[in-house]
Amino acid sequence: MSRSFYDEMYDANGECRPHYQEFARWLAETPPDILAQRRREADLLFHRAGITFTLYGDKQGTERLIPFDTIPRSIPASEWRMVEAGCIQRVKALNLFLADLYHEQRILKAGIIPPEQVLANDCYQMAMQGLDLYRDIYAHIAGVDLVRDGDGTYYVLEDNLRTPSGVSYMLEDRKMMMRLFPELFAAQRIAPINHYPNLLLETLKSASPLDNPCVVVLTPGRYNSAYFEHAFLAREMGVELVEGADMFVRDDKVYMRTTAGAVQVDVIYRRLDDGFLDPLAFSADSVLGVPGLLSAYRSGNVTLANAIGTGVADDKSVYPFVPDMIRFYLSEEPILSNVPTWQCRKPDELSHVLAHLPELVVKETQGSGGYGMLVGPAASSKEIEAFRARLKANPAAYIAQPTLSLSTCPTFVENGIAPRHIDLRPFVLSGQETRLVPGGLTRVALREGSLVVNSSQGGGTKDTWIVEDCEC
Amino acid sequence: MKLSISHDTAYYYEDQVRASIQYLRLTPQESPRQRVLGWQLDLPRPAQVQVDPYGNILHVLTLDEPHDTIRIHASGQVDIDEACEAERYDGSPLPFLRSTHLTQADQALRQFALRNVGEQRDRAALGNLMLALREHMAYTPGSTHVESTAAEAFAGCAGVCQDHTHAFLACLRTLGIPARYVSGYLFTDDCGHVASHAWAEAWLNGAWYSFDITNRLNKPERHLKLAVGMDYLDACPVRGMRRGGGYEKMHAHVIVSPAEIQIVQQQQQ
Repeated sequence: MSRSFYDEMYDANGECRPHYQEFARWLAETPPDILAQRRREADLLFHRAGITFTLYGDKQGTERLIPFDTIPRSIPASEWRMVEAGCIQRVKALNLFLADLYHEQRILKAGIIPPEQVLANDCYQMAMQGLDLYRDIYAHIAGVDLVRDGDGTYYVLEDNLRTPSGVSYMLEDRKMMMRLFPELFAAQRIAPINHYPNLLLETLKSASPLDNPCVVVLTPGRYNSAYFEHAFLAREMGVELVEGADMFVRDDKVYMRTTAGAVQVDVIYRRLDDGFLDPLAFSADSVLGVPGLLSAYRSGNVTLANAIGTGVADDKSVYPFVPDMIRFYLSEEPILSNVPTWQCRKPDELSHVLAHLPELVVKETQGSGGYGMLVGPAASSKEIEAFRARLKANPAAYIAQPTLSLSTCPTFVENGIAPRHIDLRPFVLSGQETRLVPGGLTRVALREGSLVVNSSQGGGTKDTWIVEDCEC
Repeated sequence: MKLSISHDTAYYYEDQVRASIQYLRLTPQESPRQRVLGWQLDLPRPAQVQVDPYGNILHVLTLDEPHDTIRIHASGQVDIDEACEAERYDGSPLPFLRSTHLTQADQALRQFALRNVGEQRDRAALGNLMLALREHMAYTPGSTHVESTAAEAFAGCAGVCQDHTHAFLACLRTLGIPARYVSGYLFTDDCGHVASHAWAEAWLNGAWYSFDITNRLNKPERHLKLAVGMDYLDACPVRGMRRGGGYEKMHAHVIVSPAEIQIVQQQQQ
């Protein structure tokens, strides 16, 4: 089966798209040895800056550099405005859904989402039932994963409302490009993104009713795959990076230990999953959290960003209902489309999926990071059969989607430049207003033909440009 | 039946504890089934009180001065309506369909549940399941520990009230019946068991029905309810953490008696 791919730089006739022309001209004029030298320089700089991630399941448990590609992914500003509006709409609806789900449950009573789908979901948190949050915001930071199909249409692949990561790569990739190729940024208007840490800090502060709340970043520690990012964001925002053991709870208030004594903490940007936050309330064997944190949270004495229990809204089995949430809460039509999704918990949809496994992508409803998924067209018959058995044993744990072709972007490979598949993760911040910096993180699947862009699966990143349409 | 409770818990530490924090679910809630005539919690220092995620009354006790002992005393009188067999509930029972680490059903528990319940999903069928489960699992203190899972205790054919309850919850949830863990006190004439007790509630016909597996009872006549949850970890009377202290010795002493008689039971560890 041959599929047509949408290429970000070249149209179907091989003509360079207008928003890439400036870059294409520069690329053609710059000698290859200079480009190669700059790429080596980039590797060295990333290594020195310590921008790494840890690979789970790797026997050596080593930190690796995320491969960085120097050809940017570029989006015309007019197109971006649609993507931006679509992301804002979606995250607003998801926050409204969470507030509704943990209070009146109007959407369940209206028969739009089957109650057992969300209430019997492992990510549904009893601790959030009836708890009022300041501004009714649950996902202060959301990552919306977007891909483009053969005709260039944007689709939302998934919403990440728990602890989405990758924003540090977005920021570092831009810094690197500006350092290596300043001439590119002089030649055209590329929307800046370096104010993200300021926006994040504003968002975190606005999540608390206090005037000048004390904000910290809570990390599981240096063995976490995103530790670099936790440290990076704390430094960029100028706030403390803490681990659970650095904090304690006294009389329903949270304090951190400092050299100057205990300081009360008001907002915790936590990069720790729900189940680890409070060993007295959740996982008893966890040493990563803060004993008593849940009681302080439920007393309203500390803000968690994101809130507890957001996972029920980004669960892949709830994903198919997001367009209906947008209609229900906002009375609007979705700006961005969902990928058609078969829910394997439904017997007729399961039989369709089992009959078409070689064409489909099958994902665990609870999975993330590209672990535990089947990409039918790329899988061996042995892998497909193994997945068939898993599906039959526990259908409710899976969903399936058609294999999207995913757009491509020219990328440096061993033998020059070749198209590789990419996605896009814009980061949506919800505080006093819902907003995002232009662009997001572009991930690229470096293996030829691969559709899996996750860094844990050998993906790389690119700088993402929102280019003002030129008047030329 | 009017019950009088006196529950002493004391922790003794080998070394000084630098700081400790306890979640205490030691205060009964007022309900149509139980009328709280008076209740008092004596603690080393004042604790914050709130309602926990399952609607239980939760005291959070934080101690950050060095200490080598923690004494907790709960006492009061509660009037139990023996005729009241079921409890209404405003929330959705669906979250109680989920399993937890401690109540995860394995193949053996799933088969046991199906074999003993069949097609029926009523109180009589669950009563039979309760009897069969109790038949399968002897009451043997010391055969399990506080972290034993339902599947482990079931495989070992023995346990205490906590294990019986976990195994029953695992069976019910695998059958698609919402079920929850209850911790509380039980008054017994024969002093056969400790008075700090655990049992289960199953959601049938729009209400919670009690099943005391250990005592093969499905009428909660002498049961004083303290807290509910998904499993032991959510509902247990005391859950705490500390920094320092070394070896810990715990001493619990419960007296549950009809308001006029006094029957003393003691558990030492």
